[in-house]
Amino acid sequence: MFFPKEMSEVELIVPSKDLVAVAKVLSGHGVFHQIDSAYLGQENLGPSVWQEKAGAYSLLERRLQSIMQNVGLAEEYPVKAEVESVADLDVIRPKVDRVEEEVKRVSDNLLSERKRLELLESQLRQLEPIADVNVEVGALRKSSFMHSILGVIPAANITRLKTSLLRVPHVFFTLREDAQKPIVWILGPRSNSDVLDRAAKSAYLNPLNLPDEFGGTPEQITAMLRREIELSKQQVSGSEADLAQLGISHKNDLQKLLWEVHISRIMADAIVRFGQLRHTFVVVGWVPTAALEDLTSKIKEVSREVLIETMTAGRSGHHTNVPVALSENKWLKPFQMLVGTYGHPSYGELDPTLLMAFTFPLLYGAMFGDLGQGLVMLVLGVLMHNKIILKGMQSLGLLIAYCGASAAFFGYLYGSIFGFEGHLVEEYLHFHLEPTWIAPMENILSVLSVAIDAGIVILIFGFLLSMFNNIRGRDWAHLLFGHAGIMAFLFYLSFLAVVFGGFFGSTALAPKIALALYSLPLPFGTLMIVFGVFVTFGGFFRNMVEGHTLIEGKGIGGFAMFLVQSVMDLVETLISMLSNTLSFIRVGAFAVAHGGLSLAIFSLAGEKPDVGFWITIAIGNLFIIGFEGLIVGIQTMRLHYYEILGKFFHGGGLQFEPLKLSPSREES
Amino acid sequence: MASGVSGYAAISTRVRAMYSDLLTPQDVVRLSDAPDFSALVGALKGTPYGKYLSGLKESEMTPRRVILQIRNRLADSYSSVVQQAPEQTRPLVRQLFRYFEVGNLKAVLRSIQTVSSWNSEVALWDRVREVLFPFGSFSTIPAQAMVETGSIVSAVELLRGSPYESTMSFAMKRYSAEQNLFPLEVALDLDYWRRLWGEVKNLKGKDREMGGKLVGSLLDLNNLMWVIRYKIYHNLSEEELINYTLPFGYRVRDEDVRAIAAGTDIASVVSRIYPDLHDVNALLERPQAGLPKLEHLLKQQVMRQCVSAFIGDPFHIGLPLAYLLLSDFEIQDLVVLIEAKSSKLSDEEFRPLLLKTTLIQ
Repeated sequence: MFFPKEMSEVELIVPSKDLVAVAKVLSGHGVFHQIDSAYLGQENLGPSVWQEKAGAYSLLERRLQSIMQNVGLAEEYPVKAEVESVADLDVIRPKVDRVEEEVKRVSDNLLSERKRLELLESQLRQLEPIADVNVEVGALRKSSFMHSILGVIPAANITRLKTSLLRVPHVFFTLREDAQKPIVWILGPRSNSDVLDRAAKSAYLNPLNLPDEFGGTPEQITAMLRREIELSKQQVSGSEADLAQLGISHKNDLQKLLWEVHISRIMADAIVRFGQLRHTFVVVGWVPTAALEDLTSKIKEVSREVLIETMTAGRSGHHTNVPVALSENKWLKPFQMLVGTYGHPSYGELDPTLLMAFTFPLLYGAMFGDLGQGLVMLVLGVLMHNKIILKGMQSLGLLIAYCGASAAFFGYLYGSIFGFEGHLVEEYLHFHLEPTWIAPMENILSVLSVAIDAGIVILIFGFLLSMFNNIRGRDWAHLLFGHAGIMAFLFYLSFLAVVFGGFFGSTALAPKIALALYSLPLPFGTLMIVFGVFVTFGGFFRNMVEGHTLIEGKGIGGFAMFLVQSVMDLVETLISMLSNTLSFIRVGAFAVAHGGLSLAIFSLAGEKPDVGFWITIAIGNLFIIGFEGLIVGIQTMRLHYYEILGKFFHGGGLQFEPLKLSPSREES
Repeated sequence: MASGVSGYAAISTRVRAMYSDLLTPQDVVRLSDAPDFSALVGALKGTPYGKYLSGLKESEMTPRRVILQIRNRLADSYSSVVQQAPEQTRPLVRQLFRYFEVGNLKAVLRSIQTVSSWNSEVALWDRVREVLFPFGSFSTIPAQAMVETGSIVSAVELLRGSPYESTMSFAMKRYSAEQNLFPLEVALDLDYWRRLWGEVKNLKGKDREMGGKLVGSLLDLNNLMWVIRYKIYHNLSEEELINYTLPFGYRVRDEDVRAIAAGTDIASVVSRIYPDLHDVNALLERPQAGLPKLEHLLKQQVMRQCVSAFIGDPFHIGLPLAYLLLSDFEIQDLVVLIEAKSSKLSDEEFRPLLLKTTLIQ
């Protein structure tokens, strides 16, 4: 729950005779993430026969897809698709050849007839714009003084072509307006024919080329073309009907062949990535440990002589190559999406989804505390989640429902319902609702102070989680001297005591935690300087622990530059600690602003509880839910991405992508 | 403003977080200090590019493979931005991303042309795919099938139904006549930038302003370099230069392009557009070395525009666009470093080519 699923590395030595059966088991269960282990094989065995087979299956699959496309069949697999074994190429290829031959004969006829039809129609289209011109076609070409270009041009190029001819005398006609392929006619003096031709060519103007045998006026030619087109269309529909008939008669065969070839291709692709030894194959991959026993027993059922070695990947150390499978829990999906937007957890690190599932609604509710509006959001979220409204947004619906529930809870604590607070509840709603904890509008400074305290707790938790991750990853350098390591943590505590406990200690905003720290009998000023030195030269100390060159980039600017950079690091750390801590003040500020916004609505509504009053209150509440609800959501997300996740979560994990054969699983 | 805030809240937060993960100029300097290619790869593993290199075995650590891997980060960034960008701006981001697909398409066509001119029977796909940008599920071109056809005509036929069909159908007439990829590539470029500019014009308000500024600056760079190169290297006529360039941009105006096409002194036009560029005359005197330098200077201009987009109001498409362009420039720098280290170039030869380090000054 707190970590990605535990993964085990599996290494198999498979006898050649059981190769296909084992590949079938590995591909068929959707739990095996394959690692390319071809490099473990012996190089002197020559090219793998499976390489050739994988290529052949791939080619056959493409041919079948093309056949199905030609006969108008969708790429579907049989309803009861079973995983048998890899198909025998010698058996399956003649079957494909036969169907393909039959389909090809008809589709070739169709293709050539369509091309002819296209040509005839294009010639007709070329002539239509000049159909009413009573001249012999070709006469334009024979003019002694004029150069004429008639042709089709990409519509986007017309303006540019006109611009390019600005300095040459010419006339330009657009004979047919068309969004894609307009027909234009350019006429100019023959002495400028080279310029006109170059301009036309560079504007991709394709001159119309009518065959020499086309004699007569455009009207006569178009009549003849229309007759030819009619005949050609009859031929095309005849061939299309033949193809559709072939599709109906071969549907089952084609679907079965496609399925067999498809699974054979997937298995062959998997086998190609096995390492081939003389009589055995080496297979390497990752399996969730929970599924390991089931998978190994199934492998042993199909191969008695298989050797299986498994090694569970420990959570500590670096595991950039371990694929990460996250636990699937539909109730946590919205938070998984929020985390996923930030990054995919890596294997050794904490999956922050659960933490976010707690902190996100908590912070949201604290900022948007209102019993009535929260319940409206809850209902809205439940309706969205159950696809009753706004279908396709189930995860967002669930997130809204969680936030709504939390807002309703905080509304109860704040004594706020649909913006009514204190005496207004009794006056207008006729029941009693007292804040069970605190009324933000009446205790503004206390609310802001509590918000900073809450932020400090969350930040300290972030530091601790980062240290926990470093310990698990055995990253001692970052544990001690990292930006969220022990020294930085102690520096932060000293900073809290000195700045918030001491300097701002007498103000009403002073956070209780900082005051409590400051009251401890410790020399926080000196401690801050000591830990500050470690933070300032963190890079230096990290390099020392890791045994790297002590001062990176020493050559650029020398030691002075190193000192300047280190001091800037300290300044940056101080600023970010201050801003990170104060950043949580917005939680309190929004709780107060919520009350303020409600007051604004009340001042618009007036005092008399008539129809107008209630309409204004209803519209105001809708506005608050829509507008403030959205802004609070953004702020909550911002707090998580900038202040919380950044402290301990790095992401960058490798996604778990298991081999799959089942069509239903593939579609999901 | 409210719709801007609500639409951009998540993405601008995310983009700022991703922006902070970009390499700093100091990081690039540190990487360029690596003594050789393997040290550079080792150093890269300690950067956010590390996770893209961790899957590679020692034997696979070739410069080409490493470049392919690090480009995956840019593809991921685009994918992330496309998913999170407000609905109305997604077509623009998708079209910007398509730049790499256009590059892939050109690479595929070049590979077919090269092999057919060698008359070789070598199966090419494995070599070609290493140089293609990892476009993933966004791709609309059947690259492998195109390479396997072995002919430009058949390959282009496979583009039927893709966004390139119409453009290629016009350009193929010229290819058939000239047997040269130049008209195909020019047509693809012009179509790409026209569509991109069209997407900018479809936006409103601040999105349109910032989109125009960033995309326009990038377009300026390309438009200007096209007209200069076509004039100097290809010796094209005025009408051809006009047809092979575009009449819009941020700072470069149609009159500027037409002036160069008509024969006005190029240096004076460039200096008028970019008054802060010095020694343009000297650069154009020796174009072989000078034009890459000029392009480098223009890229720096675009980069500064991108950096400045992160200052002020963050609720517009400028932020994601600027981040994506900066990521691309960063990868261009890394490609320079990888190629320089693997070819054992001296510091003087490659350091001036780095873009990011210029931000130190």
